[in-house]
Amino acid sequence: MRDLILQIVQWSLLVLGLGTLPALLLGPTSSCRLIALNTLGGIVLAFLVVYSLAQAKTLYLDVALVYDIFGFLGILAITRLSRFGKRIR
Amino acid sequence: MTELILAGILVLAIACLMLKDLIAAVVSLSAVSLLSVVLFLKVGAPDVAITEAAVGAGVSTLIYIWAIRVMGKRKIR
Repeated sequence: MRDLILQIVQWSLLVLGLGTLPALLLGPTSSCRLIALNTLGGIVLAFLVVYSLAQAKTLYLDVALVYDIFGFLGILAITRLSRFGKRIR
Repeated sequence: MTELILAGILVLAIACLMLKDLIAAVVSLSAVSLLSVVLFLKVGAPDVAITEAAVGAGVSTLIYIWAIRVMGKRKIR
């Protein structure tokens, strides 16, 4: 029962993550694509945690931790260094 | 499940080559490294996945955006 529920959650998270790809590929502005990337990052993070829970390996949680920190750094770099709209300073 | 992830990586990599907007290409490249983290984890290499998450998703995005800002050009012809 537990394995079945974990499999269903993994497949749904994978389908939802692939569902953000049209917004990432076809989004009219760059900020639309950035929001789609952020959504995809959150879904993939949930997938990594659920996959680590399904495989019962503690080492797999470290991948989720490292990705969370550096993914936030990447999103922060894109929002800070690429000026959407008017100049900041 | 692996085939779906590979199809997503292929579509995103082709889009990264074809896009004219450089910021959108960097966002697409970051999504490629994000899906390859899942792929490396699924084929059983968590250490490679950690390195890819640190370098591919974080540092290379930062360096590409920095280079685009220094270059001062948002689109290519």
